[in-house]
Amino acid sequence: MSPTTAMYVAQAIHGLAYGMLLFLVASGLTMIFGMMGILNLAHASFFMLSGYFCYTVITVTGNFWLALLIAPVAAGICGLLVERFLLRKVHAQGHLAELLLTVGIMLVILEAVKVGWGTESMMIKMPNGLDGLISVANMTYPIYRLFVIGLSLVVLGIMALILYKTRLGMIVRAAVSDADMVSALGINTPLVFMLVFGFGTWLAGVAGVVAAPLLTVFPGMADQIGMDAFVVVVVGGFGSLIGAFFVALFLGELNAYGIQFIPRLAPVLMFAFMAIVLAFKPMGFFGERE
Amino acid sequence: MRNNLSRWIYWVVGLVILAIYPQVVGIYYTNVFVGFAIFGLYAVTLNLLLGYMGVLSFGHAMFFGAGAYSTALALTHIQGFPLLPALLVGGLAGAMLALILCPLLVRVSGTAFAMLTLAFGQLIFVIALKYREVTGGEDGVGGYPIPSFNIPGVVSIDMTDQINFYYFAVTVIIVCLWLLWFYTKTPFGSLVVGVRDNAMRIDYLGFKLPQTKAVNLIVSGCFAGIAGAIYALFQNLVSTLGVLDIGTSFAPILMAYIGGLGSFFGPIVGSAILHLLEDVTFRITEQIELVNGLVFILVVLFAPMGIVGLLRQAKAKWFHKEKVS
Repeated sequence: MSPTTAMYVAQAIHGLAYGMLLFLVASGLTMIFGMMGILNLAHASFFMLSGYFCYTVITVTGNFWLALLIAPVAAGICGLLVERFLLRKVHAQGHLAELLLTVGIMLVILEAVKVGWGTESMMIKMPNGLDGLISVANMTYPIYRLFVIGLSLVVLGIMALILYKTRLGMIVRAAVSDADMVSALGINTPLVFMLVFGFGTWLAGVAGVVAAPLLTVFPGMADQIGMDAFVVVVVGGFGSLIGAFFVALFLGELNAYGIQFIPRLAPVLMFAFMAIVLAFKPMGFFGERE
Repeated sequence: MRNNLSRWIYWVVGLVILAIYPQVVGIYYTNVFVGFAIFGLYAVTLNLLLGYMGVLSFGHAMFFGAGAYSTALALTHIQGFPLLPALLVGGLAGAMLALILCPLLVRVSGTAFAMLTLAFGQLIFVIALKYREVTGGEDGVGGYPIPSFNIPGVVSIDMTDQINFYYFAVTVIIVCLWLLWFYTKTPFGSLVVGVRDNAMRIDYLGFKLPQTKAVNLIVSGCFAGIAGAIYALFQNLVSTLGVLDIGTSFAPILMAYIGGLGSFFGPIVGSAILHLLEDVTFRITEQIELVNGLVFILVVLFAPMGIVGLLRQAKAKWFHKEKVS
């Protein structure tokens, strides 16, 4: 392979890794939206919070794998509590109140993190065995990013299995398309909402831990991925997992090649893309409602 | 008649308080007041969309920032640019931006509107951050001359004097607020409320829905631009992180919600509360945003109609003979 082709391929894998991370974050966001009608602006904050949990677990135990296990669960529990004790209370007041409540939660998490851990960015060492380079066909590539892709695929597979092969998944899919009807059938939808919210934040938490060694842990670590996840959800269509998947991968590539060819405008590309799509398809590519 | 008289008394007392305020409290609180008044106007323009038209603008900072930047750039690059045109340039920039975006924005509502405004707000933020040659990037544009208030042959007031600037800014803001108040009371203002309550019926009644939305957007953008222009004159520094970032978009939403969405003056009350709160918190802790966030959560949980809503409820409870509007 010539060096130029190798560079393009490397960039493509870069984009794939980012796209997969993006999908982990966006899938939770879009499920929560589809089910509860809440655009959870605090979603990316759980991504960041999980990064900090990961840092703490690593400082205490020195083990990345333990952090990968504990930190997302801790973030997920925070999500559960937020849903149970805050969001549920304002559910009756309509979407605006819920949206604004998540803004408040976002601010509080961001500032609480600054108080608890400080504002400096903290390095997280990649786990042994994943910190090297792999060389295939005349090109070298960091193993860790391949690990990111692999892990995301595993999580994605588990999620697909639960959603499409279990009774719980069936209820969740039904609730995404019509929560009132599911409730009328005698299913405890508030409990389902809470579990899905917790699961969504757990997914964001997994992404946060996996991204921590790449991004380093700092209060603004979720800024880009959070924004991009909104773009994914909006463009893919609110509540559509398939849409989120394709758009996340596309945006990952757009981001990777954008940085390579027009570095100055790369951050703009996402929003320009979203504006164009919304102008012609206000419901997004796979969405059925606004 | 009595009602009319008492209204006049309120007005006169209010104006007298505003007039003697800087003499009483000193320069620091004079500046705090100007900051509050600027954000009060800015939050009212957001409420034109949120409270009156029922759409949430998540990128309102783009109008504010457009106004602030164009005023700052005009003052930097054009020698001897006068004061009032500087304000108008800001308003015009906000209105132009709204005009450019409205073909897209009027097509959507609800969450899509919020996301689209968020996207454009971020778009403009990133562009301003990256095009350093024009906007100065993170450092921003600063140190431009602040023109005097000049009526040739009559008067020339130095605006670098903070007390003078207070009077100027407060006058402009009161005039703007009066215009906006008037605007919401016109038949067109009622039409906008109609769009919020039942867009389809407004459509069936033969009113032009997209055009109505567009005009309201442009008015909102224009006055947000003027608020930005006053900010630029007040701070003598305009930077992306100060006028275009997402915090600047969230601030008026917070203010409008805390004050109360259902009323014209709610956002101003919200701005006052947030500025006071900020001032008090700053003496105790540096975590202003943390306190803001907590207050916000508490307001959403316990006072969904905002402070003005709470007051109305209290009034209805204790003076139940008075009519609740």
